[in-house]
Amino acid sequence: MKTPKKCLIGLVVGLVFTLASCGLEQASAGAPPGEATIGVGSMYEPQNLDNAGGGGQGATEALTGNVYEGLFRLTDEGRVENLLAESHTVSPDGLTYTFRIRDGVTFHSGAPLTPDDVAHSIRRVTAAASTSSRRGTLDMIESIAGSGRDTVVVKLSSRSISFVYNLSQVWIVNDAHEDLSASEDGTGPYRLGTWKRGSSLSLDRFDGYWGRKAANARVVFRYFTDASALNNALLTGAVDVVTGMQSPDALALFDGDPGYRISNGKSTTKLLLAFNNRRAPFDRMLVRRAVSSAIDERKLLDSIWNGYGSMIGSMVPPTDPWYEDLTHVNPYDVELARRQLAEAGYPRGFTFTLDTPTYDPHPTVAAFVKSELAKIGITVEINMVTADEWYTKVYRNHDFTATLQEHVNDRDVRWYGDPGFYWGYDNPQVAREVKRAERAGTVEEQTALLRKVGRRIAEDAASNWLFLYPQIVIGSSGVSGYPVNGLNAQFYVYDIVKR
Amino acid sequence: MASAPRERGPGTKRRVRSRTLAAGCALVGAVALTALVSLVWLPYDPADTSGGRLAPPGAAHPLGTDRLGRDLLTQVMIGARIALAAGLGATAVGGVLGVAAGLAGGFATRWLDDAFAVLSDILIAFPVLLLAMLMVAARQASLGPAILAIGLAMSVTVARLTRILVKRVLAQDFITAARTSGTSWPRITVEHVLPNIWPTLLVSLALHLGVAVLAEATLSYLGLGAAPPNASWGRMLREAQTTAFTAPVGVIAPGVLLAVLVVGANLVADGVRDVADPARRRS
Amino acid sequence: MLPYLLRRTLLLAASLLLASAVLFVLLRLLPGDPANALLSVGATPEQIAAVRREIGSDRPLTEQFLSWLGRMAVLDLGTSFVSDLPVGPEISARLVVTVPLTLLAFTVSLLVAVPVGFVAAHRPRSWYGALLNGVSQLGVAVPVFWIGMLLATVFSLHLRWLPAGGFPQDDWADPAGALASLALPVATVALVMSASLIRYVRSAALDVLDSDYLRTARALGCSLPGAMWRHGLRNAAVPVVSVLGLELATTFLGAVVVESVFALPGLGSMLVRAFAQHDYPVIQGVLVVGTLAVLLAGLLADTAQRIIDPRLRDTAGGGRW
Repeated sequence: MKTPKKCLIGLVVGLVFTLASCGLEQASAGAPPGEATIGVGSMYEPQNLDNAGGGGQGATEALTGNVYEGLFRLTDEGRVENLLAESHTVSPDGLTYTFRIRDGVTFHSGAPLTPDDVAHSIRRVTAAASTSSRRGTLDMIESIAGSGRDTVVVKLSSRSISFVYNLSQVWIVNDAHEDLSASEDGTGPYRLGTWKRGSSLSLDRFDGYWGRKAANARVVFRYFTDASALNNALLTGAVDVVTGMQSPDALALFDGDPGYRISNGKSTTKLLLAFNNRRAPFDRMLVRRAVSSAIDERKLLDSIWNGYGSMIGSMVPPTDPWYEDLTHVNPYDVELARRQLAEAGYPRGFTFTLDTPTYDPHPTVAAFVKSELAKIGITVEINMVTADEWYTKVYRNHDFTATLQEHVNDRDVRWYGDPGFYWGYDNPQVAREVKRAERAGTVEEQTALLRKVGRRIAEDAASNWLFLYPQIVIGSSGVSGYPVNGLNAQFYVYDIVKR
Repeated sequence: MASAPRERGPGTKRRVRSRTLAAGCALVGAVALTALVSLVWLPYDPADTSGGRLAPPGAAHPLGTDRLGRDLLTQVMIGARIALAAGLGATAVGGVLGVAAGLAGGFATRWLDDAFAVLSDILIAFPVLLLAMLMVAARQASLGPAILAIGLAMSVTVARLTRILVKRVLAQDFITAARTSGTSWPRITVEHVLPNIWPTLLVSLALHLGVAVLAEATLSYLGLGAAPPNASWGRMLREAQTTAFTAPVGVIAPGVLLAVLVVGANLVADGVRDVADPARRRS
Repeated sequence: MLPYLLRRTLLLAASLLLASAVLFVLLRLLPGDPANALLSVGATPEQIAAVRREIGSDRPLTEQFLSWLGRMAVLDLGTSFVSDLPVGPEISARLVVTVPLTLLAFTVSLLVAVPVGFVAAHRPRSWYGALLNGVSQLGVAVPVFWIGMLLATVFSLHLRWLPAGGFPQDDWADPAGALASLALPVATVALVMSASLIRYVRSAALDVLDSDYLRTARALGCSLPGAMWRHGLRNAAVPVVSVLGLELATTFLGAVVVESVFALPGLGSMLVRAFAQHDYPVIQGVLVVGTLAVLLAGLLADTAQRIIDPRLRDTAGGGRW
């Protein structure tokens, strides 16, 4: 009886490991430099392939700059340069933009790029049915008209200093192509290969590209829902580079290993303890300041990110032109917090509910906030909400007292100028300055105004900006040419080469 | 143990079997004791973050600390409380609802009974966890709804079992005899049906306790169970997963304790079956 | 046999219909709005209203159900709210992963559980009997995701024998690669499944070993394996087969969780994601397909039981029991 059992177990074990040895080597190590396949690991799978139709961060990451191009490109360093636009002029009143489109550009389908395509592409984003988060930034557009063979004229109802910057986020698509949610027709250096939902998306080099051809033949984005599975994939060579490492502790595996390179880039993702400024007790500035001073953000950052990431004293990340270091405005000072709380009329503290998204790192952060605020007598009740519930309860119905949320976009300090936004910060002066900044005649004027806004909201403690996430990209040492900052979730893959 | 006599005397066998029960009770008892102790004494305040990030096990912190510098032993002890509350709570909900529904089904008329059978057939096609997920997913994630959801899902299997058992008892001659002698249905239930089905039910409930504990851990792992800072073992596993390389104790300790509790519950089930089932005791 | 099968098939169809209705109502009663998944911070009220109109979540419930049912009748599972892609083709694309995973895990667990269960029952109090019993006790007592985590750490991180996650881009075009990707997930599910199956097999085998007919057979000079083979197996199979239907369902659930651990593009990860996004058409499609599979498994198990145990064939009654 013993022998057959042993045989069986042996058989099963043997079977499993035979399979193992065949299947492990997938990465194409031996391909010539220009023909390599690059594996990219990511946590953000597109929901669909249309960034104006709910594709989300994943669609931007995989397709922007790779499959689709804008009139302008936002480089990894944060500069805006011409891409499909050859040049542009602005009328003296700042209301008329005239773009000249690059000659000889064709879509992947073979159709040439026309001014009508450009007009159609911009209208897609500004249309009522668009779910693009960029829609609000382009609502001053009055009319778009193509003229001649290579000119597009856009008229605005008010000046918009960020107009060109915002256009860098608008994909130029072929106006004859109907369904963008599952297929594409862009002008980029890659065409879409296959998208295996739940698993991977591949891009194949487009040989008819108008510019410099991609440095590799194929890029495969592999998607993971779990940070440790993503690390494992890099360790086992299933991917060559990981776009945004979410767990600092896994870094210990790569740190000091010559086989990997860790880059610590610049991120625009801020973690906020957002107060409902409409609701007591957070309608009182002193209470908000007290809470901000009672939380040791440095310790929190070190706990979560173990030395990576940085402190931030306001909504503006260092990559925005109007950044200034404001961490001193609400310093960590428990005594000060106690005094402010007493002055606000809560000498013995109060109790409030903190709506906490269920996904990492929010629950851990909530536990930390609770233990910090206990020191000044404030009791925090943690209420877990799913992402979906967060949108309904907090974002739309404003039915919350305080919440935790990460805000990923750059240049989003403007939301403090909108009293209808979920956190209900209503400061007419800030609202006026945000509006004036957008209508500014020069970048200097805009920068000065928004810097003022950043300082004012910090002094008001409109929210508590807990920390700025790090942007950690890890690649095998044989791979180079990938972007390290990933501003606005972009990830340009066309320069990546593998030795 | 290896030199123990091998003959199959009835006495030996019963002793071995009650040993199963004893072992099960000891394991569950250990977890219960931990939970009770945690109510009156904890090594640290659970909110105390002074321990330093991911401190290794040592004299000050026997199991080390987590990312926020909180003592792991403290959290594991509180986790025992939550695991037991989830297990017992869900089993109570599932047991009461399931037995009531099962009794109703068992006594029902043919037509009603068929409807009951079809319905439970459908419901049983959704496994416990999926059903619980469905119910908790959109509601706010916290311990109460999670327990209720697991209990409700569990009541389907309990009802199904109860119904079979009741049918089996009702088909027996002594019930017919009792009926002909004019005994009322409620009395038959109390005097004949329940005494005959409780051992099997008890076994099933003990097994369900383990399932409920695992289901709660899985829900918490998926972020749908107890809210922080309540340290559910499932949540601890989730949070420790990313630090598994630097601080493996965080992954091992909650997992081992989960196993202790569930193995304990299963051993209790086995022990009860062996002691109570006359057919087994016979040999 | 034929009337029985006919009756059961009708019952199955009715069950499926009822299950769809229950699911539909249950899902729509849940709080939350599928429009949320399509939005991001910065969405305006008009954008929200536009999304709701487009996916039809602003229409009356009965209207939504009837239109869904109508499409179901022609095997159209609708369109995902989130991706705007048809649900049916995506489900079939993902079955390519989930079905092999479930069946492989199920087969492996049977191959392990049956012999091990018999061995454990043969000498329950010997050291190996106790050991096997202990291991199976332990196997059912740990969460499946925990086992997955451990196996991934050992076999792919330390030993580098197997991939830790993902599935080949071109599915089964490279069978070795696909199987390698499935090896650890299959092992994870099979470990848990066989642990619970061993317990059934062991107790069934114990009953058989204690039975009079087996003793008689042995007294008549049959060897133990011979007697087992000729008389024991069929008798022990009856109670085991009866739980197989449910076990298959549980294997499917295990696959759901394990797919998330190993980043496999199967039905499970599809479902978990759809839950988070309130993508009703997807949840519904996956659950209806899953329910159908479970009901079919139950039908198969019951039929198999009837074939094995002739006594059951004479019993009247329409229910399963």
